[in-house]
Amino acid sequence: METTVFRAENVVLALEGVTRRFPGVTALNRVDLEIRKNEILGLVGENGAGKSVLTKIMIGIYPPDEGRVLLNGREVVLKGTSDASQKGIGAVFQDGSLIPNLSVTENLFLCHENGFLQFGTLSRRKMAAEARRLLAQMNIDIDVDLPVASLTPAAKQMVEVARVLWLSEKYGASNPIVILDEPTTVLNDSERDTLFDILKKLKSRTSIIFISHRLQEVLENCDRIVVLKDGQNVTDMPTKGVEISEVEKLMVGHEFSGDRFREVEQAAPRESVVFKVEQIGKVGAFEPLSFEVHEGEIVSLVGLVGSGKEQLCRCIAGLDKYDSGSVIVDGKAPLNGSSSSAVHNGVGHVPIERRVEGLALNLTVADNINYLVLDKLKRAGVISSRMEKEHAEKWVAECLVKTPSIKSACGGLSGGNQQKVILSKWLSSDVRLLILDHPTRGVDIGAKDEVYRLIRKFAKSGVAMIVMCDTLEEDIGLANRLLVMRDRRLIGELDASAGRKPSPQELIKLIV
Amino acid sequence: MKQVESIADASPVHKLGPGAAGEVAKRWFSRSGTVAQIISLAIVIAIFAVGTQGKNLSWANVQVVLSLAAIPAILAVGLHLTIVIGGIDLSIQGTVALCAVFVGLLSRSRFTTNDVGLWILPISIAIGTVCGLFTGILHTKLRIPSFIATLGISWVLYGVAVYINRAMIIGLLDHRIQNFINDKPLGIANVALVALVIAIIVQFFEDRTRAGRYLYAIGGDEALAHQLGVKVDRIKILAFAIAGCLYGLGAVLLVNRLGSATSRAGLNLLFPVITAIAVGGVALTGGIGGAKNALLGTLILTVLNNGMVLMAVNPYAQTAVNGVVLIVAVALTLDRKKLGFIK
Repeated sequence: METTVFRAENVVLALEGVTRRFPGVTALNRVDLEIRKNEILGLVGENGAGKSVLTKIMIGIYPPDEGRVLLNGREVVLKGTSDASQKGIGAVFQDGSLIPNLSVTENLFLCHENGFLQFGTLSRRKMAAEARRLLAQMNIDIDVDLPVASLTPAAKQMVEVARVLWLSEKYGASNPIVILDEPTTVLNDSERDTLFDILKKLKSRTSIIFISHRLQEVLENCDRIVVLKDGQNVTDMPTKGVEISEVEKLMVGHEFSGDRFREVEQAAPRESVVFKVEQIGKVGAFEPLSFEVHEGEIVSLVGLVGSGKEQLCRCIAGLDKYDSGSVIVDGKAPLNGSSSSAVHNGVGHVPIERRVEGLALNLTVADNINYLVLDKLKRAGVISSRMEKEHAEKWVAECLVKTPSIKSACGGLSGGNQQKVILSKWLSSDVRLLILDHPTRGVDIGAKDEVYRLIRKFAKSGVAMIVMCDTLEEDIGLANRLLVMRDRRLIGELDASAGRKPSPQELIKLIV
Repeated sequence: MKQVESIADASPVHKLGPGAAGEVAKRWFSRSGTVAQIISLAIVIAIFAVGTQGKNLSWANVQVVLSLAAIPAILAVGLHLTIVIGGIDLSIQGTVALCAVFVGLLSRSRFTTNDVGLWILPISIAIGTVCGLFTGILHTKLRIPSFIATLGISWVLYGVAVYINRAMIIGLLDHRIQNFINDKPLGIANVALVALVIAIIVQFFEDRTRAGRYLYAIGGDEALAHQLGVKVDRIKILAFAIAGCLYGLGAVLLVNRLGSATSRAGLNLLFPVITAIAVGGVALTGGIGGAKNALLGTLILTVLNNGMVLMAVNPYAQTAVNGVVLIVAVALTLDRKKLGFIK
């Protein structure tokens, strides 16, 4: 083990050949990663490149299928987040892991209050004093008695960082490792500067892994950068002198190859405009913007998490209210903030959380497919069970849904087949505009192609579509046109019709 | 979310809290907030002071109100613990009925030769605690929603109570507890002091013990609390057990004050107790409000009902007023953003 001895000099945490598989997909493929003392390591990669799985392995949520985790040169098995935090490894996630109704103090020490017991009861004075000491060490001024629900996102992150540091101190882990998962997406500019200020000071006693989409800030503030691509690490280099374009190239990786998105079936959209938004805006979510979608056209919204595209789609689908502007579908305006009005006017939505929002899991395949067209399956004013059966069977065959029978519950189907059920539900209705929110998320490769086939079929029948995809390649491959969103603004559009597809590198420049 | 205060470059200290105005507002509504309840209490007292031309402020009436509020307050302090963890306990009527029946069975009366004397106090409390433990275990280990588990248990216990009691009304012949309840060595009835002491103890438990703090962690975000290492099931069972313990105490006091024990003693307790808790500002979504809120809520409700009696409001209208109060209180305290769908 010569290498281990050599590395132990300044490597705190090392992952060696870590592989993690999920049904149908290898999320991490023999990833090696080293975190050294007193450094900020930038970890970048596209959505789905494996950053979050890697994080979860480092804090013990997932065990690796293969490979080893070495802490200070010795192999460790992390049994969960509390085990990891006692060994000095902790993560701060975007959505936070603080309990909203408890105060800052209580959150900091939750489940580790032993040191504050006085005659069997907690000394709140001691706890508050310790909390103040802890935050003062980081040069942060937060009222420790406030419930965390009333704090800003920046303050919450700092409380979580403080918790990680305190736990490692308490349990004697010499060099704590703090993983920050896209901390800057919820911060404004001055908060972001503050964050980096604090992180740079913390560097003297910690190692920090900084995950971000914003390459600029990674290159400016990190010492080293690791790029993940399709579950493999493609590079590990110091940030000094590195250009953004180099990193972009590494993130996107290989050139386009083959017809992965059924691009030959892509047809030019027709003349007539099916859908348009005019100066639609929502305060705090996205600035007023306008665009149109033609009959049979696939428009892809690209942008990072937090660019505002998700909220825009939720507003169009009637799930959220917009503050200004108008939405027009086939010349009619659905009611603002009413999803049922949106559906009646021909707006369909295939949500990212299909198991929660897209399907009634405990109902049968037939029930789910027929849901929107029950009126058409009536005879003499009542729903005919024979027509129901025929309709469902027709679409199950049409969309190649693999199900034991149309009477099976949707909850038992695979992700890909659930998605096909949702798509056939919309295909069989009079949908005019379909919003596809990550249509291939959690769908295995074979079924992905089926989903693409159905999307092309929608387009051929004249349905207008707005898609948001897992990868930029998918966005580019599927779309006729790309709308680019950044920092809550629509900043431009790119033609992506067959033969004139932009490269992912061009696109990533625009969005980060 | 609030805007961050501007961060001065010169200052090495980063101020990340909300603005001053926000701070004050948040404190009002923070977990330990009782300001709104004290104001409501003052308003209700003031309204009836006008309505009854000051009759409700007489010392005799104040004594009556405090004595009336005492036993519901003890029950509310127990029940609110199960709401703090994000659940609810509807088993109160069954538990109280069962305890009441055992008080009748074991205390001196014309129907029985049993006489445990003052031992009835710990016995009743123990019965209540066992019922609470059982409910808690049913809820957590079999993963039955607390709403259904406790509703079911309530009817089971009530059924057992009626079966044992056979609808008899047992007059108690041992008046020591009754006398203690009504004596006023310190100006107000002892039972009111007992309720106050219990509220203080439970509030202390909530503020100053680990188990107490964990109740709020569970109420705030159960999944997160579990992830951080809180023994969620154990703490939940504890909450139900303490609630049961206080129902047991409430039952023995209730029966002795009436002077007779019957399975019907438990009826019509659930609604006023839940209303009191909601009025006191304990959020039904969990994680907010303490024993002092339960106590204040009971007081507000008792003052309200006492005032209506003094003003000779139609009794049926009084019932309706209580219903309106419950809905308004919940509407004001429920954080509906936390619930995706209201079921």
